[in-house]
Amino acid sequence: MKKTADIIIIGAGIIGAATGYYLAKNKLKVLILEKQFPCAGSTGRCIGGIRQQYTHPLSINVMLESVRIFSVLKNEFGKEVEWYSGGYLFLAHSEDKKQTYLQAIDIQKQYQIPVRFITPDDCLQIVKGLNPEGLLGGAYCPTDGQANPFAVTYGYLDGIKKMGGKLLTNTEVAKINVTGNKIISAVTTDNQEYFAPVILNAAGPWAKKIGKMVNLDIPVQPERHESVVTEACERLFDPMLVDYRSDGCYFIQNYGTGHFIGCYTPVPNDPGENIKATSEFLTEMPRRMARLVPRLGNLKVIRQWAGSYEMTPDGNPIVDKTPVEGFYVSVGMCGHGFMFGPALGKYMAELITQGKSSLPLDDFALNRSFGKKEAMK
Amino acid sequence: MKNKIVICRCEEITEQEIIAVIKQGYTSLDEIKRILRCGMGHCQGRSCQMIIARILSRMTKQPIEKIIFPSSRPPLKPIPIKTLAKYKTTGEHK
Ligand SMILES: Cc1cc2nc3c(=O)[nH]c(=O)nc-3n(C[C@H](O)[C@H](O)[C@H](O)COP(=O)(O)OP(=O)(O)OC[C@H]3O[C@@H](n4cnc5c(N)ncnc54)[C@H](O)[C@@H]3O)c2cc1C
Ligand code: FES
Repeated sequence: MKKTADIIIIGAGIIGAATGYYLAKNKLKVLILEKQFPCAGSTGRCIGGIRQQYTHPLSINVMLESVRIFSVLKNEFGKEVEWYSGGYLFLAHSEDKKQTYLQAIDIQKQYQIPVRFITPDDCLQIVKGLNPEGLLGGAYCPTDGQANPFAVTYGYLDGIKKMGGKLLTNTEVAKINVTGNKIISAVTTDNQEYFAPVILNAAGPWAKKIGKMVNLDIPVQPERHESVVTEACERLFDPMLVDYRSDGCYFIQNYGTGHFIGCYTPVPNDPGENIKATSEFLTEMPRRMARLVPRLGNLKVIRQWAGSYEMTPDGNPIVDKTPVEGFYVSVGMCGHGFMFGPALGKYMAELITQGKSSLPLDDFALNRSFGKKEAMK
Repeated sequence: MKNKIVICRCEEITEQEIIAVIKQGYTSLDEIKRILRCGMGHCQGRSCQMIIARILSRMTKQPIEKIIFPSSRPPLKPIPIKTLAKYKTTGEHK
């Protein structure tokens, strides 16, 4: 059989880059096909937050491993990735939210995550200038943090190239050839054919389209999420501040640069491929930020943009082999793909090379029932 | 001397740093911006993008009009959070 590479990865976002890196470390010849350039998809639009505060045991385990990896990436790459464990603080403004967070903490404690529910006064200590109005306290984990999505993704990609792998940019996969239910090759829009026995769908918001090429339905739906960034200033506070009220928002001060970056989850949600930024967001987001931390009022907003969350029906990723032999998926990251990326990359590489991963990923299976939703959303 | 020439003043990126990244094979303004942050500063690239485009055009031997510029993103001028917070706009671009 003809072979260009041991594995073809579709997409050079964090998922394709991290998975490719751990595969290359396993001596596989990796070829990444990217329709634009690295980080052109969701990864380049993400705000870099990293947390372990989930309720699904598998998400917690994946994030424990990801945080461990993030903390050593600088040594691994010999390059800064701006990992900083400044924590995450989820604010509770209602008894309901407080209970949700307390229940989540009970679960997270079983995994030795140093998370605790802190008083409004403690919140104000950590975030000077936080508006105490209606605040009942917050779920705080100091070992959550942030890193630079570009530095991490390019770090992985540079590693792949050093180990002999290849990345082709401006190369869009248009067709996947399957013979007798086995992966044969990927054909690009410029009619080049690349042969490999294994193909990984790491196409983020476009995952469903890639699935269709092999007649698989992959339940991933993009939803627009917008973001703003302010000018830089001296360090004001460390954690990602999360306000999950329906008119809340979340933002963090970038460790490397001092800019504030943030988003909110639109209610109702905003499905579709449109990722144009809106003037509604440009005024609504500052209003929400100023309500939470009034002293930010004089900081200037310098840029806004939008991107996609890749949603699955239950808010958890799909990381699995598929009924098509040689076709794997690591998609549907539901807005958490940057932080999940390093660990899922490692586990997917194990699944591909050894037939199973050291952490069982059954709950992220393609054919699961998609029942219970993640509570920390 | 070359390493002393600052091309992106907002993010303090020098000509030497830009040339090094282009030599590594990153030959679009979008990629250079993502790797070095030049163009992500206070002026959003107004001062530096044209100069970087010229360096890129020279090094990759492409005519300047073939160089693709990153998207321009609102707001056109930095605006304080509290000023933006006063405006109410709804239901646009849906
Ligand atoms: C505003 C915003 C804020 C976010 N904040 C966070 C955060 O704080 N923390 C966090 O963990 N996550 C965050 N996310 C989510 C995170 O960005 C994504 O989950 C993650 O980047 C997904 O990575 P990916 O590699 O799966 O997809 P992508 O980065 O989208 O990569 C997919 C790649 O596939 C390529 N591609 C698609 N189709 C083809 C084709 N046919 N042929 C070749 N290539 C193709 C695309 O060009 C793209 O580069 C945020 C997202 C947004 C939009
Ligand atoms: S000079 Fe480069 S962003 Fe302002």
